[in-house]
Amino acid sequence: MPTSSQNIFLIGDYKLIEEFGSVCNARGLNVLCKLNPPSTKKVLPKFLKRCASIPRNVAIAFELTNGNTAIKQRNLKALDKALNSKKMILSSSVTITAMEQSTWIKHPSRLVGMSAFPTLLSKKLIEISATTHTGSETISHVQDFFLKLGNQISVVQDRIGMVMPRILCMLINEACFAITENIASPRDIDTAMKSGTNYPLGPIEWGNTIGFKNVLDVLEALWKDLGEERYRTAPLLKQMAIGIK
Amino acid sequence: MVKTVGVIGAGTMGSGIAHVSALSGFDVFLYDIEESLLNNALQRISTDLRKSFEKGKITETQSAETGARIHPRLTMGDFSKCAIIIEAAVELLKTKRSIFEQLDTLCSPDVLLATNTSSLSVTSIASATRYPERVLGMHFFNPPHIIKLLEIVKCRRTSDQTIERAIQFAQQLGKQPVVVKDTPGFIVNRCARPFYGEALRLLGEGVTSIEEIDRIVKLEGGFKMGPFELMDLIGIDVNLSVTKSMYEQTFYEPRYKPHHIQQALVDAGHLGRKTKQGFYRYES
Repeated sequence: MPTSSQNIFLIGDYKLIEEFGSVCNARGLNVLCKLNPPSTKKVLPKFLKRCASIPRNVAIAFELTNGNTAIKQRNLKALDKALNSKKMILSSSVTITAMEQSTWIKHPSRLVGMSAFPTLLSKKLIEISATTHTGSETISHVQDFFLKLGNQISVVQDRIGMVMPRILCMLINEACFAITENIASPRDIDTAMKSGTNYPLGPIEWGNTIGFKNVLDVLEALWKDLGEERYRTAPLLKQMAIGIK
Repeated sequence: MVKTVGVIGAGTMGSGIAHVSALSGFDVFLYDIEESLLNNALQRISTDLRKSFEKGKITETQSAETGARIHPRLTMGDFSKCAIIIEAAVELLKTKRSIFEQLDTLCSPDVLLATNTSSLSVTSIASATRYPERVLGMHFFNPPHIIKLLEIVKCRRTSDQTIERAIQFAQQLGKQPVVVKDTPGFIVNRCARPFYGEALRLLGEGVTSIEEIDRIVKLEGGFKMGPFELMDLIGIDVNLSVTKSMYEQTFYEPRYKPHHIQQALVDAGHLGRKTKQGFYRYES
């Protein structure tokens, strides 16, 4: 286990900080964090300590923003500036590749992408992606960190959506198309996928827990990246994303 | 009130449907065209019943009574006595339409006629009859005596009363019915397409390996099985044919486009567990 004196810093989206922060705290780390606007003041569990600015005495920093590129870029630049160039930065690379993010900072060898996506961060495995700039010592540090945290990792290529978020968002999109076409009720779709194929959650309840806006962000990024009609989003998904943030 | 159930086709699905119906107290006529097929089905049912008994799920009396309620038939004459008939014959539209045409003549118009098709248009099967309002899809999942889910498929011309009666019957079987319009893939086959399709895309794009995708899906996603081990279990040929059928029936919707990796494995005869090789190798 990591030592209890170790500080880690999380900056980014509320859902991701709450989920990943709780995991890290439960495993003995001291978690400091800063939430993105407009959720800056949103209530977090007490054990997640809020910071007004980036603390310098942290072992590792996480940038956990998926939807908003401008905010993500601002956060990463600030981390790059505030932290000693040897400190690792793990950044969610679900909607923007780690490679693209590495062009924003002065010390790209410390940057590693990760699959930070709601409901998946508290599971047993995290995907990580290196860029051509990532130093080999950085990757072995990241492996050490997650192994000590009790997580498995899988190193995958640096692509939009990575593996699990991409499959999951496509499953939710398909269910949203099915509802858009009125073939069955949302409840029956969830029941069918859990009872007929043994899925851990129904696609609609899963989308609700993740937040449909997060699902939309991944699919729109895939659509832009791959340019295929296959990744177009269901009208219902867009509406849910606007309605339930 | 349903007392007698007819099952057409004594393959895996047909015998499973006969099993669950008889176990729920219905008398069952089980039809197929060859005696050997019927004998195999009765053998399979008796093996499955013994397994259920050994697991403590049913009593010895229940097992014996269930077996005794199944009546094999090489002709359809007795099917006029049934209140509901479920067809689980070969997945060919022509065969199914011909069976429904015969049943339509044989049975009074208030008898429910259901097809267990998973990939054909129920509406097209129904249109071979004079009374399509009593025709519907009842899509059981394999093995039918274990999986609770039952997709009740409503065609353009199926009456609401037919659907209500089918739901009631499903509940008597101890099933969990969901109602879906007759559209390609119904709910499960359709909504599960991306699980395989995106995994194949990820593999094709070189994002990571077969083993890693399966490991990620299980440990990060919380799924019981990864997409590649599941395709090997289902049969890569079976999975490809479902995908192809959906792709064609939707007039080539890109989300259902099959992947050439699947076709290559089928061409190589690597169909999954049943041929000891698919995405993985299996020692015999």
